Amino acid sequence: MAALDGVAMGALVWPTKRDWRLAASDMVRGLLAWEIWTLLGVSDIRQRYKRSRLGQFWITASMAFFVASTGVVYSLLFNQPIYDYVPLLAVNMTVWTLISGIVTDSTTAFVQAGMYLRQDALPKAIFVIRVLTRNLIILGHNIVIIPLVFLAFGVVPTPVAVLAIPGLALLIVAAFAVTLISSLLCTRFRDLPQIVQNLLQIAFFVTPVLWRPEQIGESAFYLVALNPFAAFLRIVADPLRGQVPDALAYANALLSTLILFAIALPLFARFRARIVYWL
Amino acid sequence: MASITLTNATVEIPIYNARGRSFRSNILRHVGGRLEPDNRDVVIVRAVNDITLSLKPGDRLALIGHNGAGKSTLLRIFSGAYEPSTGTAEISGTVSSLLEITMGMDPELTGAENIVLRGVFVGLSIDEARRLIPEIAEWSELGEYLALPLRTYSSGMLLRLAFAVSTVRHRDILLLDELIGVGDMNFAAKARQRIEDMMDRADILALASHDTNILKQYCNRAILLRQGCVVADGSVDDITREYSSQSA
Repeated sequence: MAALDGVAMGALVWPTKRDWRLAASDMVRGLLAWEIWTLLGVSDIRQRYKRSRLGQFWITASMAFFVASTGVVYSLLFNQPIYDYVPLLAVNMTVWTLISGIVTDSTTAFVQAGMYLRQDALPKAIFVIRVLTRNLIILGHNIVIIPLVFLAFGVVPTPVAVLAIPGLALLIVAAFAVTLISSLLCTRFRDLPQIVQNLLQIAFFVTPVLWRPEQIGESAFYLVALNPFAAFLRIVADPLRGQVPDALAYANALLSTLILFAIALPLFARFRARIVYWL
Repeated sequence: MASITLTNATVEIPIYNARGRSFRSNILRHVGGRLEPDNRDVVIVRAVNDITLSLKPGDRLALIGHNGAGKSTLLRIFSGAYEPSTGTAEISGTVSSLLEITMGMDPELTGAENIVLRGVFVGLSIDEARRLIPEIAEWSELGEYLALPLRTYSSGMLLRLAFAVSTVRHRDILLLDELIGVGDMNFAAKARQRIEDMMDRADILALASHDTNILKQYCNRAILLRQGCVVADGSVDDITREYSSQSA
């Protein structure tokens, strides 16, 4: 693993007490700098759509186009009633867009912030949280599709929907760890963003976003129960559709979150100071 | 109390070529045959080499040296952006680093929006930054231009705006990489006044420049850098003399 550090300093050593202290301070100061990460997140979105007439509502419009076109084609393909399939697709795609958006953006979090990191002693966590902020703003734009689709197809929301809130909270916590790991490694290894992109593509197809686990039968167990993407998708999407997620999904999501932090925290503590050297 | 203490601080920046940065070659290196005795994929640049230095309030440090001698990297250690790869740097006090004053400005956003965006990085809250917009509009003489996107600005106007925002806060430690020349003659004088005011209020100043007159005017101590090492430390007069005798 010496290759990770780049400098011939021998084996990968466990973070020292000082490393841990500085990493903890980085994260606390990063979280407290909410004005910076909200402003950066908002500016990211604002800048992307600045010169277009529809502005950031292109986010909503794109999602509407996708749900409408894919909804029609796949309901025919899967032989499913459209009033049943389109609401499912709208909810799943909204949540999946959040997950995949965070993973995609995580690969460039520090590289994109290079000019800041090289000049000032800013907490690195700011740029991790910025990715989350940006994608939550996108979620805010996409989520308006859901009530519209429900209205159009006569789906009545149930009180179970509030379960989506703790689900989303857990997803965001896990996303922090994912972004920390991915942004750090992607700064060091510049081929990794492409690899992550490809894995994400595969994850989209093996996760029940476009399809229902029932359609696959027995083997769905492996794709749904063991797949962390499916777990995080279900703990947010299922309640919105009026289903209580099964305990297995929560267990998977919780365990995945713990594992992610067990990797992210030592990795960040050890290499936090090296990030700026890799830019 | 502001202070900067470097102890045997070294900054070694690994430069990965395309192969060194790739994940594949790292895997291949492990599964492949014998390892190369020296790792030819990584070139290490020692930008700052084993510097021990301490600055206390009242110090006005001049950094002197050729291009690539390590002045900017040393300033970046002072700002806390680079933590030494070996050795330590302890920085206490708030830092205002005017190394790249246009940092974080966004061409698509308006001047006013950029004041807020840049303002939070120099330690303002969003509200404080918003309240400063009229004052900055007046001082920078940009007035109604602040409502236009930054991409419509000339480079001089951009610098004026960046300078105006970057200098609104007085901090304990002031870091400068060359004095910033902003705008036409009238404006340059105004900018100079503002930066002198900042220097006066700062506990510690570190200024890198090739202009010996400027260094003599503002600094009371100098270090001469060569290939990342401090080769001389003393009064500004002595060090500038040594530097020019070397260059000759």
